[in-house]
Amino acid sequence: MQNDVSHKKRNIKIIACETVIEEMLSLMPADVSYRTLDFGLHVNPQSLKNALQQAINDASEEADTIVLGYGLCSQALVGIEAHNCTLVVPKVDDCIAIFLGSAQAYLEQHRQCPGTYYLTRGWIKAGDTPFTEVDTLIKQYGQKKAYCLLNQILKNYSRLAFIDTGNGDIEPYRSYTQNTAERFGLKYQELKGSGELIRKMLFGPWDDDFIIVRPGKTVTFLDFKDTRSIETDSAPEEVLHI
Amino acid sequence: MDLVEALAELKEEEALEITRKRLGTDEDPNAILADAREGMGIVGSRFAAGEYFIPDLVYSGEILRQVTDMVKPKLVQGKEVKKLGKIVLGTVAGDIHDIGLNIVEFMLDTNGFEVYNLGVDVPASKFVEKTRETGAPVVALSGFLTLAFDSMKDTIEALEAAGIRKNVKVMIGGGQIDEQVQKYTGADAYGTDAVTAVTLAQKWFNINN
Repeated sequence: MQNDVSHKKRNIKIIACETVIEEMLSLMPADVSYRTLDFGLHVNPQSLKNALQQAINDASEEADTIVLGYGLCSQALVGIEAHNCTLVVPKVDDCIAIFLGSAQAYLEQHRQCPGTYYLTRGWIKAGDTPFTEVDTLIKQYGQKKAYCLLNQILKNYSRLAFIDTGNGDIEPYRSYTQNTAERFGLKYQELKGSGELIRKMLFGPWDDDFIIVRPGKTVTFLDFKDTRSIETDSAPEEVLHI
Repeated sequence: MDLVEALAELKEEEALEITRKRLGTDEDPNAILADAREGMGIVGSRFAAGEYFIPDLVYSGEILRQVTDMVKPKLVQGKEVKKLGKIVLGTVAGDIHDIGLNIVEFMLDTNGFEVYNLGVDVPASKFVEKTRETGAPVVALSGFLTLAFDSMKDTIEALEAAGIRKNVKVMIGGGQIDEQVQKYTGADAYGTDAVTAVTLAQKWFNINN
Protein backbone atom coordinates (compact mmCIF):
# COMPACT_ATOMS: atom_id res chain seq x y z
CA MET A 1 0.00 0.00 0.00
CA GLN A 2 1.41 3.38 -0.97
CA ASN A 3 1.26 6.03 1.67
CA ASP A 4 0.02 9.56 1.08
CA VAL A 5 3.09 10.91 2.85
CA SER A 6 4.99 10.13 -0.33
CA HIS A 7 3.02 12.71 -2.27
CA LYS A 8 3.80 15.75 -0.25
CA LYS A 9 7.00 17.57 0.39
CA ARG A 10 8.64 16.40 3.57
CA ASN A 11 11.53 17.67 5.61
CA ILE A 12 13.91 14.81 6.19
CA LYS A 13 16.66 14.67 8.73
CA ILE A 14 19.21 11.93 9.33
CA ILE A 15 20.40 11.04 12.80
CA ALA A 16 23.16 8.45 12.77
CA CYS A 17 26.13 7.03 14.56
CA GLU A 18 29.38 8.65 13.43
CA THR A 19 30.55 5.43 11.80
CA VAL A 20 27.36 5.22 9.69
CA ILE A 21 27.42 8.90 8.74
CA GLU A 22 30.97 8.31 7.50
CA GLU A 23 29.52 6.01 4.83
CA MET A 24 26.66 8.37 3.98
CA LEU A 25 28.44 11.67 3.51
CA SER A 26 29.55 11.19 -0.09
CA LEU A 27 25.93 10.43 -1.08
CA MET A 28 24.13 12.90 1.18
CA PRO A 29 21.65 15.07 -0.80
CA ALA A 30 22.28 18.79 -0.35
CA ASP A 31 18.80 19.44 1.04
CA VAL A 32 18.98 16.75 3.74
CA SER A 33 20.41 17.78 7.08
CA TYR A 34 22.01 15.35 9.48
CA ARG A 35 23.19 14.99 13.02
CA THR A 36 25.96 12.72 14.16
CA LEU A 37 26.02 10.92 17.50
CA ASP A 38 29.13 9.61 19.21
CA PHE A 39 30.17 6.02 18.38
CA GLY A 40 31.10 5.38 22.03
CA LEU A 41 27.42 5.53 23.04
CA HIS A 42 26.88 1.97 21.75
CA VAL A 43 28.76 0.53 24.73
CA ASN A 44 25.85 1.42 27.02
CA PRO A 45 22.44 0.89 25.38
CA GLN A 46 20.68 3.12 27.92
CA SER A 47 23.03 6.03 27.20
CA LEU A 48 22.53 5.53 23.47
CA LYS A 49 18.76 5.43 23.93
CA ASN A 50 18.78 8.66 25.96
CA ALA A 51 21.04 10.51 23.53
CA LEU A 52 19.05 9.31 20.52
CA GLN A 53 15.69 10.24 22.03
CA GLN A 54 16.99 13.71 22.83
CA ALA A 55 18.31 14.12 19.28
CA ILE A 56 14.94 12.98 17.85
CA ASN A 57 13.03 15.38 20.08
CA ASP A 58 15.28 18.25 18.95
CA ALA A 59 15.07 17.28 15.28
CA SER A 60 11.30 16.88 15.24
CA GLU A 61 11.04 20.67 15.57
CA GLU A 62 12.39 21.01 12.04
CA ALA A 63 11.76 17.66 10.33
CA ASP A 64 8.67 15.55 9.90
CA THR A 65 10.59 12.42 8.89
CA ILE A 66 13.75 11.26 10.63
CA VAL A 67 15.89 8.45 9.24
CA LEU A 68 17.97 6.74 11.93
CA GLY A 69 21.38 5.35 11.06
CA TYR A 70 21.01 2.63 13.69
CA GLY A 71 19.73 -0.93 13.97
CA LEU A 72 18.38 -2.67 17.05
CA CYS A 73 21.82 -1.95 18.59
CA SER A 74 21.64 -4.13 21.74
CA GLN A 75 18.00 -3.10 22.16
CA ALA A 76 18.94 0.58 22.52
CA LEU A 77 16.28 1.41 19.92
CA VAL A 78 13.47 -0.33 21.82
CA GLY A 79 11.30 2.25 23.51
CA ILE A 80 12.38 5.14 21.29
CA GLU A 81 9.36 7.37 20.71
CA ALA A 82 8.49 9.13 17.49
CA HIS A 83 6.38 11.87 19.15
CA ASN A 84 5.32 14.21 16.35
CA CYS A 85 7.46 12.88 13.50
CA THR A 86 7.80 9.65 11.50
CA LEU A 87 10.87 7.51 12.17
CA VAL A 88 12.48 5.33 9.52
CA VAL A 89 14.85 2.67 10.85
CA PRO A 90 16.71 -0.04 8.91
CA LYS A 91 15.46 -3.45 10.09
CA VAL A 92 18.86 -4.80 11.15
CA ASP A 93 20.55 -5.94 14.33
CA ASP A 94 23.34 -3.42 14.11
CA CYS A 95 25.51 -1.40 11.76
CA ILE A 96 27.45 -4.44 10.52
CA ALA A 97 24.37 -5.28 8.42
CA ILE A 98 24.24 -1.67 7.20
CA PHE A 99 27.85 -1.88 6.00
CA LEU A 100 27.37 -5.32 4.42
CA GLY A 101 24.27 -4.05 2.59
CA SER A 102 21.51 -6.12 4.17
CA ALA A 103 20.38 -8.09 7.21
CA GLN A 104 20.67 -11.23 5.09
CA ALA A 105 24.31 -10.56 4.15
CA TYR A 106 25.14 -10.14 7.84
CA LEU A 107 23.34 -13.33 8.75
CA GLU A 108 25.25 -15.26 6.09
CA GLN A 109 28.59 -14.00 7.42
CA HIS A 110 27.50 -14.71 10.96
CA ARG A 111 26.49 -18.27 10.11
CA GLN A 112 29.81 -18.87 8.35
CA CYS A 113 31.81 -17.82 11.40
CA PRO A 114 30.01 -16.71 14.58
CA GLY A 115 33.35 -15.89 16.21
CA THR A 116 34.01 -12.89 13.99
CA TYR A 117 34.97 -9.44 15.10
CA TYR A 118 34.21 -6.85 12.40
CA LEU A 119 36.10 -3.64 11.70
CA THR A 120 35.54 -0.84 9.21
CA ARG A 121 37.43 2.32 8.40
CA GLY A 122 34.90 4.27 10.49
CA TRP A 123 35.26 2.09 13.56
CA ILE A 124 39.02 2.20 13.42
CA LYS A 125 38.91 5.99 13.04
CA ALA A 126 36.52 6.24 16.00
CA GLY A 127 39.18 4.29 17.91
CA ASP A 128 36.93 2.39 20.25
CA THR A 129 37.29 -1.39 19.87
CA PRO A 130 38.52 -4.12 22.24
CA PHE A 131 41.87 -3.83 20.48
CA THR A 132 42.23 -0.13 21.20
CA GLU A 133 41.20 -0.75 24.79
CA VAL A 134 44.57 -2.34 25.46
CA ASP A 135 46.14 0.93 26.61
CA THR A 136 43.30 1.70 28.99
CA LEU A 137 43.43 -1.84 30.34
CA ILE A 138 47.21 -1.67 30.80
CA LYS A 139 46.77 1.49 32.87
CA GLN A 140 44.10 -0.18 34.97
CA TYR A 141 45.53 -3.68 35.30
CA GLY A 142 49.17 -3.64 34.18
CA GLN A 143 50.51 -5.08 30.90
CA LYS A 144 50.47 -8.79 31.69
CA LYS A 145 47.00 -8.86 33.18
CA ALA A 146 45.61 -6.56 30.48
CA TYR A 147 46.68 -8.95 27.72
CA CYS A 148 45.44 -11.90 29.73
CA LEU A 149 41.99 -10.28 30.04
CA LEU A 150 41.87 -9.33 26.39
CA ASN A 151 42.82 -12.84 25.35
CA GLN A 152 40.06 -14.18 27.58
CA ILE A 153 37.55 -11.83 25.93
CA LEU A 154 38.69 -12.90 22.48
CA LYS A 155 39.23 -16.59 23.20
CA ASN A 156 36.19 -17.76 21.23
CA TYR A 157 36.84 -15.41 18.33
CA SER A 158 38.67 -16.81 15.34
CA ARG A 159 38.24 -14.23 12.58
CA LEU A 160 38.90 -10.52 12.27
CA ALA A 161 37.01 -9.23 9.25
CA PHE A 162 37.67 -5.89 7.60
CA ILE A 163 34.62 -4.63 5.73
CA ASP A 164 35.73 -2.68 2.68
CA THR A 165 32.88 -0.24 2.09
CA GLY A 166 34.73 1.30 -0.84
CA ASN A 167 34.75 4.62 0.95
CA GLY A 168 37.96 6.68 0.93
CA ASP A 169 41.51 5.45 1.28
CA ILE A 170 41.24 2.14 3.06
CA GLU A 171 44.86 1.05 2.87
CA PRO A 172 45.99 2.23 6.35
CA TYR A 173 42.86 0.67 7.89
CA ARG A 174 43.31 -2.58 6.01
CA SER A 175 46.88 -2.92 7.21
CA TYR A 176 45.87 -1.95 10.75
CA THR A 177 43.33 -4.79 10.71
CA GLN A 178 45.86 -7.23 9.26
CA ASN A 179 48.39 -6.33 11.96
CA THR A 180 45.78 -6.56 14.70
CA ALA A 181 44.68 -9.98 13.46
CA GLU A 182 48.26 -11.18 13.59
CA ARG A 183 48.87 -9.68 17.04
CA PHE A 184 45.86 -11.44 18.55
CA GLY A 185 46.11 -14.70 16.60
CA LEU A 186 42.96 -14.16 14.53
CA LYS A 187 42.39 -15.06 10.90
CA TYR A 188 42.24 -11.95 8.74
CA GLN A 189 39.55 -11.73 6.11
CA GLU A 190 38.37 -8.92 3.90
CA LEU A 191 34.66 -8.63 3.14
CA LYS A 192 33.22 -6.56 0.36
CA GLY A 193 30.75 -4.06 1.77
CA SER A 194 27.68 -2.80 -0.03
CA GLY A 195 26.13 0.65 -0.10
CA GLU A 196 22.68 -0.71 -0.92
CA LEU A 197 21.07 -0.15 2.45
CA ILE A 198 22.77 3.23 2.88
CA ARG A 199 21.40 4.35 -0.51
CA LYS A 200 17.91 3.17 0.41
CA MET A 201 18.14 5.02 3.72
CA LEU A 202 18.93 8.22 1.84
CA PHE A 203 16.84 7.87 -1.29
CA GLY A 204 14.24 5.19 -0.53
CA PRO A 205 12.23 3.18 -1.08
CA TRP A 206 11.68 2.47 2.58
CA ASP A 207 10.35 -0.99 1.99
CA ASP A 208 10.31 -4.20 4.05
CA ASP A 209 13.94 -3.60 4.96
CA PHE A 210 12.76 -0.70 7.13
CA ILE A 211 10.62 -0.07 10.17
CA ILE A 212 8.28 2.88 9.84
CA VAL A 213 7.28 4.33 13.20
CA ARG A 214 4.34 6.70 12.97
CA PRO A 215 4.00 9.87 15.09
CA GLY A 216 3.04 8.98 18.64
CA LYS A 217 4.26 5.37 18.29
CA THR A 218 7.19 3.61 19.94
CA VAL A 219 9.86 1.31 18.51
CA THR A 220 9.40 -2.25 19.77
CA PHE A 221 11.62 -5.33 19.64
CA LEU A 222 9.06 -7.11 17.48
CA ASP A 223 9.31 -4.35 14.85
CA PHE A 224 12.75 -5.76 14.06
CA LYS A 225 11.33 -9.22 13.55
CA ASP A 226 8.93 -10.18 10.82
CA THR A 227 6.32 -10.92 13.45
CA ARG A 228 3.77 -8.11 13.52
CA SER A 229 3.20 -6.53 16.88
CA ILE A 230 -0.02 -7.65 18.57
CA GLU A 231 -0.89 -4.08 19.37
CA THR A 232 -0.39 -2.98 15.77
CA ASP A 233 -2.93 -0.59 14.44
CA SER A 234 -0.91 0.76 11.57
CA ALA A 235 -1.35 -0.39 8.02
CA PRO A 236 0.77 -3.40 7.09
CA GLU A 237 2.80 -3.75 3.89
CA GLU A 238 3.46 -0.07 3.81
CA VAL A 239 6.11 1.34 1.50
CA LEU A 240 7.28 4.89 1.83
CA HIS A 241 8.96 6.78 -0.96
CA ILE A 242 10.91 9.96 -0.65
CA MET B 1 37.82 -5.74 53.78
CA ASP B 2 35.98 -9.08 53.60
CA LEU B 3 35.74 -11.54 50.69
CA VAL B 4 32.44 -10.15 49.43
CA GLU B 5 33.90 -6.65 49.20
CA ALA B 6 37.24 -7.86 47.77
CA LEU B 7 35.44 -9.61 44.91
CA ALA B 8 32.99 -6.77 44.36
CA GLU B 9 35.89 -4.29 44.23
CA LEU B 10 37.97 -6.64 42.04
CA LYS B 11 40.83 -6.81 44.56
CA GLU B 12 42.56 -10.02 43.49
CA GLU B 13 45.34 -10.22 46.08
CA GLU B 14 43.04 -9.33 48.95
CA ALA B 15 40.45 -11.90 47.83
CA LEU B 16 43.04 -14.67 47.63
CA GLU B 17 44.65 -13.71 50.93
CA ILE B 18 41.28 -13.69 52.74
CA THR B 19 40.43 -17.08 51.21
CA ARG B 20 43.78 -18.52 52.28
CA LYS B 21 43.32 -17.29 55.84
CA ARG B 22 39.75 -18.56 56.10
CA LEU B 23 40.76 -21.98 54.76
CA GLY B 24 43.27 -22.20 57.63
CA THR B 25 40.45 -22.08 60.19
CA ASP B 26 37.68 -24.52 61.14
CA GLU B 27 35.17 -22.63 59.05
CA ASP B 28 32.96 -24.57 56.60
CA PRO B 29 34.51 -23.90 53.14
CA ASN B 30 30.98 -23.60 51.76
CA ALA B 31 30.70 -20.32 53.63
CA ILE B 32 33.63 -19.00 51.56
CA LEU B 33 31.84 -19.95 48.36
CA ALA B 34 28.67 -18.31 49.64
CA ASP B 35 30.59 -15.05 50.13
CA ALA B 36 32.15 -15.42 46.67
CA ARG B 37 28.64 -15.76 45.24
CA GLU B 38 27.53 -12.65 47.04
CA GLY B 39 30.54 -10.75 45.71
CA MET B 40 29.86 -11.97 42.18
CA GLY B 41 26.24 -10.91 42.57
CA ILE B 42 27.42 -7.36 43.25
CA VAL B 43 29.78 -7.49 40.25
CA GLY B 44 26.85 -8.64 38.08
CA SER B 45 24.63 -5.81 39.31
CA ARG B 46 27.35 -3.25 38.65
CA PHE B 47 27.82 -4.64 35.15
CA ALA B 48 24.07 -4.50 34.49
CA ALA B 49 24.06 -0.91 35.76
CA GLY B 50 26.89 0.05 33.38
CA GLU B 51 29.39 0.70 36.19
CA TYR B 52 31.54 -2.28 35.26
CA PHE B 53 32.55 -3.27 31.73
CA ILE B 54 33.34 -6.57 30.06
CA PRO B 55 37.05 -6.64 31.07
CA ASP B 56 35.97 -6.10 34.71
CA LEU B 57 33.53 -8.97 34.42
CA VAL B 58 36.25 -11.20 32.97
CA TYR B 59 38.60 -10.17 35.77
CA SER B 60 36.02 -11.02 38.42
CA GLY B 61 35.64 -14.44 36.76
CA GLU B 62 39.41 -14.92 36.95
CA ILE B 63 39.51 -14.07 40.69
CA LEU B 64 36.53 -16.35 41.24
CA ARG B 65 38.24 -19.22 39.43
CA GLN B 66 41.28 -18.95 41.72
CA VAL B 67 39.13 -18.74 44.85
CA THR B 68 37.11 -21.79 43.75
CA ASP B 69 40.29 -23.75 42.89
CA MET B 70 41.57 -23.11 46.42
CA VAL B 71 38.29 -23.99 48.14
CA LYS B 72 37.17 -27.07 46.19
CA PRO B 73 39.81 -29.53 47.50
CA LYS B 74 38.77 -28.57 51.06
CA LEU B 75 35.10 -29.33 50.56
CA VAL B 76 34.01 -32.37 52.55
CA GLN B 77 35.41 -35.41 50.76
CA GLY B 78 33.64 -38.71 50.55
CA LYS B 79 30.35 -37.35 51.72
CA GLU B 80 27.97 -37.45 48.79
CA VAL B 81 26.30 -34.08 48.56
CA LYS B 82 22.79 -34.43 47.29
CA LYS B 83 22.26 -32.17 44.31
CA LEU B 84 19.10 -30.11 44.20
CA GLY B 85 18.21 -30.69 40.56
CA LYS B 86 19.54 -30.88 37.01
CA ILE B 87 19.92 -27.91 34.72
CA VAL B 88 21.06 -27.95 31.10
CA LEU B 89 22.92 -24.73 30.28
CA GLY B 90 24.58 -23.31 27.18
CA THR B 91 25.06 -20.40 24.80
CA VAL B 92 22.77 -20.87 21.81
CA ALA B 93 23.82 -21.50 18.20
CA GLY B 94 25.56 -18.60 16.48
CA ASP B 95 26.79 -17.00 19.68
CA ILE B 96 30.22 -17.62 21.15
CA HIS B 97 30.04 -15.51 24.31
CA ASP B 98 30.62 -17.35 27.57
CA ILE B 99 31.75 -14.85 30.18
CA GLY B 100 28.27 -14.58 31.69
CA LEU B 101 27.57 -18.24 30.97
CA ASN B 102 30.46 -19.39 33.13
CA ILE B 103 29.45 -17.08 35.97
CA VAL B 104 25.92 -18.51 35.83
CA GLU B 105 27.37 -22.02 35.89
CA PHE B 106 29.37 -21.19 39.03
CA MET B 107 26.36 -19.62 40.74
CA LEU B 108 24.07 -22.56 39.98
CA ASP B 109 26.74 -25.16 40.77
CA THR B 110 27.72 -23.68 44.13
CA ASN B 111 24.06 -23.28 45.01
CA GLY B 112 23.73 -27.04 44.79
CA PHE B 113 22.41 -27.64 41.29
CA GLU B 114 23.78 -30.26 38.91
CA VAL B 115 24.72 -28.20 35.87
CA TYR B 116 25.39 -29.59 32.39
CA ASN B 117 27.23 -26.73 30.67
CA LEU B 118 27.25 -27.43 26.92
CA GLY B 119 29.50 -24.44 26.13
CA VAL B 120 29.04 -22.00 23.26
CA ASP B 121 27.45 -22.06 19.79
CA VAL B 122 25.32 -25.02 20.85
CA PRO B 123 22.91 -26.33 18.20
CA ALA B 124 19.26 -26.75 19.20
CA SER B 125 19.57 -30.51 18.62
CA LYS B 126 22.28 -30.74 21.28
CA PHE B 127 20.07 -29.03 23.86
CA VAL B 128 17.30 -31.50 23.00
CA GLU B 129 19.64 -34.47 23.23
CA LYS B 130 21.13 -33.45 26.60
CA THR B 131 17.76 -32.58 28.10
CA ARG B 132 16.41 -35.95 27.07
CA GLU B 133 19.50 -37.84 28.25
CA THR B 134 19.65 -36.19 31.69
CA GLY B 135 15.93 -35.70 32.20
CA ALA B 136 16.72 -32.18 33.40
CA PRO B 137 13.54 -30.23 34.09
CA VAL B 138 15.25 -26.85 33.60
CA VAL B 139 17.01 -25.51 30.52
CA ALA B 140 18.96 -22.23 30.66
CA LEU B 141 19.78 -20.54 27.35
CA SER B 142 22.39 -17.81 27.12
CA GLY B 143 23.11 -15.34 24.33
CA PHE B 144 24.79 -11.96 24.20
CA LEU B 145 23.99 -10.88 20.64
CA THR B 146 20.50 -9.83 19.56
CA LEU B 147 21.02 -12.33 16.72
CA ALA B 148 20.96 -15.03 19.40
CA PHE B 149 17.31 -14.32 20.22
CA ASP B 150 16.29 -16.19 17.07
CA SER B 151 18.43 -19.16 18.08
CA MET B 152 16.78 -19.15 21.50
CA LYS B 153 13.40 -19.24 19.77
CA ASP B 154 14.60 -22.06 17.48
CA THR B 155 15.94 -24.03 20.46
CA ILE B 156 12.65 -23.77 22.35
CA GLU B 157 10.77 -24.78 19.21
CA ALA B 158 13.09 -27.78 18.88
CA LEU B 159 12.25 -28.83 22.46
CA GLU B 160 8.59 -28.51 21.49
CA ALA B 161 9.08 -30.55 18.30
CA ALA B 162 10.89 -33.23 20.29
CA GLY B 163 7.86 -33.47 22.59
CA ILE B 164 9.76 -32.46 25.74
CA ARG B 165 8.87 -28.77 26.03
CA LYS B 166 6.02 -29.57 28.41
CA ASN B 167 8.45 -31.30 30.78
CA VAL B 168 10.86 -28.39 31.10
CA LYS B 169 11.01 -24.79 32.23
CA VAL B 170 13.21 -22.58 30.08
CA MET B 171 15.03 -19.46 31.23
CA ILE B 172 16.96 -17.09 28.98
CA GLY B 173 19.61 -14.51 29.75
CA GLY B 174 22.89 -13.01 28.75
CA GLY B 175 22.28 -9.80 26.88
CA GLN B 176 19.78 -6.98 26.74
CA ILE B 177 16.84 -9.26 27.34
CA ASP B 178 13.39 -8.05 28.37
CA GLU B 179 9.81 -9.30 28.48
CA GLN B 180 9.27 -8.77 24.74
CA VAL B 181 12.25 -11.00 23.97
CA GLN B 182 11.00 -13.60 26.44
CA LYS B 183 7.62 -13.69 24.70
CA TYR B 184 9.24 -13.78 21.26
CA THR B 185 11.44 -16.74 22.14
CA GLY B 186 8.71 -18.63 24.03
CA ALA B 187 10.81 -18.89 27.22
CA ASP B 188 9.18 -19.14 30.64
CA ALA B 189 11.33 -16.47 32.26
CA TYR B 190 14.34 -14.26 31.70
CA GLY B 191 17.12 -12.81 33.79
CA THR B 192 19.54 -9.95 33.41
CA ASP B 193 22.09 -11.23 35.91
CA ALA B 194 23.43 -14.51 37.32
CA VAL B 195 21.64 -14.14 40.65
CA THR B 196 18.28 -14.24 38.85
CA ALA B 197 19.24 -17.60 37.31
CA VAL B 198 19.64 -19.00 40.83
CA THR B 199 16.41 -17.38 42.08
CA LEU B 200 14.47 -18.82 39.13
CA ALA B 201 15.98 -22.29 39.56
CA GLN B 202 15.16 -22.29 43.28
CA LYS B 203 11.60 -21.25 42.51
CA TRP B 204 11.18 -23.90 39.82
CA PHE B 205 12.62 -26.65 42.01
CA ASN B 206 10.49 -25.46 44.94
CA ILE B 207 13.50 -24.71 47.10
CA ASN B 208 12.82 -22.29 49.90
CA ASN B 209 15.72 -20.17 50.94
